[in-house]
Amino acid sequence: MDFQQHGYRATKPRARASPPSGGPLLFDDTSSGPPPMNRGQDPGVGNLFADPMASAAMMYGSSLANQGKDIVNKEINRFMSVNKLKYFFAVDTRYVMKKLLLLMFPYTHQDWEVRYHRDTPLTPRHDVNAPDLYIPTMAFITYILLAGMALGIQKRFSPEVLGLCASTALVWIIIEVLVMLLSLYLLTVHTDLSTFDLVAYSGYKYVGMILTVLCGLLFGSDGYFAALAWSSCALMFFIVRSLKMKILSSFSADSMGVGTSAKPHFRLYITFALAAFQPIIIYWLTAHLVR
Amino acid sequence: MSISGLFFYLIPSRLFAMSGFDNTDFFQSSYSVDDQNQGGYGYSDPNDPYSKQYEYSQPMGYSAPPGMMQPQQPYMGQIYQPTPAFTPVSPQSMYGSSFEDEPPLLEELGINFDHIWQKTLTVLHPLKAADGSIMNETDLAGPMVFCLAFGATLLLTGKIQFGYVYGISAIGCLGMYCLLNLMSMTGVSFGCVASVLGYCLLPMITLSSFGVLFSLQGMLGMILTATIIGWCSFSASKIFISALAMDGQQLLVAYPCALLYGVFALISVF
Repeated sequence: MDFQQHGYRATKPRARASPPSGGPLLFDDTSSGPPPMNRGQDPGVGNLFADPMASAAMMYGSSLANQGKDIVNKEINRFMSVNKLKYFFAVDTRYVMKKLLLLMFPYTHQDWEVRYHRDTPLTPRHDVNAPDLYIPTMAFITYILLAGMALGIQKRFSPEVLGLCASTALVWIIIEVLVMLLSLYLLTVHTDLSTFDLVAYSGYKYVGMILTVLCGLLFGSDGYFAALAWSSCALMFFIVRSLKMKILSSFSADSMGVGTSAKPHFRLYITFALAAFQPIIIYWLTAHLVR
Repeated sequence: MSISGLFFYLIPSRLFAMSGFDNTDFFQSSYSVDDQNQGGYGYSDPNDPYSKQYEYSQPMGYSAPPGMMQPQQPYMGQIYQPTPAFTPVSPQSMYGSSFEDEPPLLEELGINFDHIWQKTLTVLHPLKAADGSIMNETDLAGPMVFCLAFGATLLLTGKIQFGYVYGISAIGCLGMYCLLNLMSMTGVSFGCVASVLGYCLLPMITLSSFGVLFSLQGMLGMILTATIIGWCSFSASKIFISALAMDGQQLLVAYPCALLYGVFALISVF
């Protein structure tokens, strides 16, 4: 009894943040007048043990929840920095509209250089050439929902197929980003392309995919292939022009003059390979939806 | 008698040892029937169990020290939060509060019908500017009611899909929580996101109740569905951007909300 009292007291500061303990018991006890002796004392004694236990359990539970949240935050911060991720979501409506237009019709855009402000790149709000993660994320989710709807229209829907579609698309993005990272590393190309940048550029193809699937659903097979051709060309142009600045123009820091002459070729090959990969994957991921 | 007497002597003496009372005062004051009914029902008193225990010992002849007779602590009217800030209160004043001074049950639970009604009106008038401070208290009672009403109207059409509603709302709330935390300068709490999304589900209930009366799969049904999805997502985005002070991002917030409510509409229609 002493131990429990002390135990309760030790956790008292936390009790102040928790909801009242033993509420129903309190109502129970005072609604009748002076409680009869025997009945009053036993629940009273019981309250002494049950209430501290219940409230201690509740406080333990809430502290456990807080600890869990802290652990999750710590683990997430170990893998990626949330602040860096926030940079990619600092978008506004004007930027998104311009970027979508750019993805579908990049031929008239003149200046592809990403602007800097004292060594830090400008946020997407202020620079239409900066990559962002809002459009790829939304496009990915819209693609999954659209795939579900397309399959539903064709009476081929089931939740497993939706999960299959989503995981296939996700895996292809991961493969593409890993291959890009590996090739950039192997060729010692020093760019300032981070992993998130590559994810962003890989994710832009989903906008083309959505357009292709919509045209395929609305206009049949002809519409599908026309939209596929259009979005593939636009996306290839976009990727080449965007990454040319970043990959091709950054010379490696080593002073070996011999090595640098071969590098630009490989860099060009990488950029064109990435661009050529886009139509293939668009076709692969959308053909089964509009058959 | 002696054993139980000893027992009841020990407990309050521990109690008052904790509270710093002098044990000698304990036996000297008078006992009155009114003391029996008091509570310390204010929810800020961790000593409640002890005061409870103490009251049951009163019939044994132990009574409150003179300090116990003080008037009760004034109720800190914290209507909006189920877990109000605690102000340290000596056990003395708790013993003086009477039954009538308990806060009503709804207030103690944090359910404030007036606020629920105000927030509902905000949702129902999508073109009126929203006040950013109404979402400060995370009130999940209203959204719970709306979710259950939505499930009930679905039930009326023969679709027993409470599980889908629950699952989609959980995933949708989680997704919106992550997105809003990344997009806004200040963060949001999960309860706030869940609360706003739950309130803006109200027009969806009208859609599913229309679905009871006539089938939604025709052209009229499609137009109605599109309108209601737009209404829901517009209200939700309006509340979010006024609460989080995000400028120029209303359509960007409205689009994921529209996706979420579109899935709900899919459940209603098909």
